[in-house]
Amino acid sequence: MIKAKNIYFRYEEKFILKNISLEIEEGSFTALIGANGSGKTTLAKHFNGLVVPDKGSVFVNGIDTKKDSLNARKNVGFVFQNFEDQMVYSVVEEDVGFGLENLEYSYDKLKSVVDETLKKLRIGHLAKVNVNALSQGQKQLVALAGVLAMNPKCIVFDEPTTNLDEKNKKNILDIIKYLNRKDKITIILVTNMLGELKYADEVIVLKSGSVIFNGKKSRLNKKIIKGAGLDD
Amino acid sequence: MIKKLYFGQYRHRETMLHSLDPRLKIIYVLVLSILAFLSKSMNDMIVFSSFILLCVLLAKIDVKTIIKGLRSFYFIFAFLFLMYLMFSPNQLRQGLVAIWRFLMFILISMILTFTTPISGLVTAIEKLSSPLKIFGIRPRNIATTVSIAIRFIPVMFVNFERMRESMISRLADFRKMNHIKLVVSLMLHKMLKSASNLSDAMYSRLYNEGIEINKILKLKEYDYVSIVFVALFILLIY
Ligand SMILES: Nc1ncnc2c1ncn2[C@@H]1O[C@H](COP(=O)(O)OP(=O)(O)OP(=O)(O)O)[C@@H](O)[C@H]1O
Ligand SMILES: [Mg+2]
Repeated sequence: MIKAKNIYFRYEEKFILKNISLEIEEGSFTALIGANGSGKTTLAKHFNGLVVPDKGSVFVNGIDTKKDSLNARKNVGFVFQNFEDQMVYSVVEEDVGFGLENLEYSYDKLKSVVDETLKKLRIGHLAKVNVNALSQGQKQLVALAGVLAMNPKCIVFDEPTTNLDEKNKKNILDIIKYLNRKDKITIILVTNMLGELKYADEVIVLKSGSVIFNGKKSRLNKKIIKGAGLDD
Repeated sequence: MIKKLYFGQYRHRETMLHSLDPRLKIIYVLVLSILAFLSKSMNDMIVFSSFILLCVLLAKIDVKTIIKGLRSFYFIFAFLFLMYLMFSPNQLRQGLVAIWRFLMFILISMILTFTTPISGLVTAIEKLSSPLKIFGIRPRNIATTVSIAIRFIPVMFVNFERMRESMISRLADFRKMNHIKLVVSLMLHKMLKSASNLSDAMYSRLYNEGIEINKILKLKEYDYVSIVFVALFILLIY
């Protein structure tokens, strides 16, 4: 699904990602874990071509993101860390339809997909609500709905549980798991919380821009976690 | 704290005015506003007001909403009235007409925002501005800009308020120039950050300025009826 080959990325003089190679299988559930500032978000943005590497390449379904980022983005949806800033329209159902407008859906089709998606996430009752009036948990779900409506093969969640209470945390994680198991959507869950590895099959550990572990969750051990600065 | 977080007083109702084509509504508002300013005599005003009143009834707007919506204008009404009273008491009648006209003007816009969701307005603006295409302006960009402004201006106020509160809790003094500078630069920084986040999110969702939105706006029977109706009304006044 996604393949990164020796990617390097820097802001000004500082390398944020150093020689990262990895592969994400279709249908898998991968957790991308690392301490604050380790480069998780930057790496994740490479997966849908929002950021392209300075050196090396990223392929999404065989498409080089440097050559065709649009098609990379059609395949890989992104739920951002700061979901406050990812809603464009003021009314929930309109915002959820934003991506579908860009895909040039007809109005009827758009409406039915939006309704279906909202219902699926059990937020049908919020359709006409102003996004500024939503709670954090609801905003998160609306942000997800906007991505899910576009029917991507893979979704990146960047720290989806920050700012949520326990109930909403569990809800969003359960939804993510459902999307993976039932809808066969490839999931990349960016997190800095060990507890959220629960649902993942694969784990990638980042430490200051380098991958220090990449493999089955069962092979992850205390030493690696400690090395990444993630133990408590 | 800021209580009112968003613009627009749209209320969902099933009425003729609600389902009228938003493009037509915008055009009517423009036409009616011009009419309001052109009507000079008391007679014109009475006919005109009855028409507006009829629209208010048709839109099922309750009086409470109107009174609430007008609250911020009372001061201006009072001011206008006082001006006439002080400077040209012999023209008091005209003064009243002026205020009355102003009131009509506000009511017309209220009917529009009450019966039309922002998305409808935005789409209508997009459609109405499509002749601008010949100048290389993309209607979709205009529409998206309007939507984003509507979405983020209230958020900005909230952010400002949060920042102000947290600065005041740490004893900031907004009479000091450097504290004002600080809050302004923090706001700018925050806005730029949001803008960059937002553009990432828009590109992730395949933002495409070239397309025309397919929210089909097609005139329906009662849209045509309304055109005839408004045209008749204009003829009636003149
Ligand atoms: N626009 C930018 N300009 C300069 N440096 C940046 C920029 N964005 C991120 N960085 C730097 O890149 C590094 C990695 O940032 P990134 O956001 O990818 O980390 P992260 O693992 O997602 O952190 P967090 O857990 O805080 O979200 C950080 O040191 C950050 O300071
Ligand atoms: Mg991050």
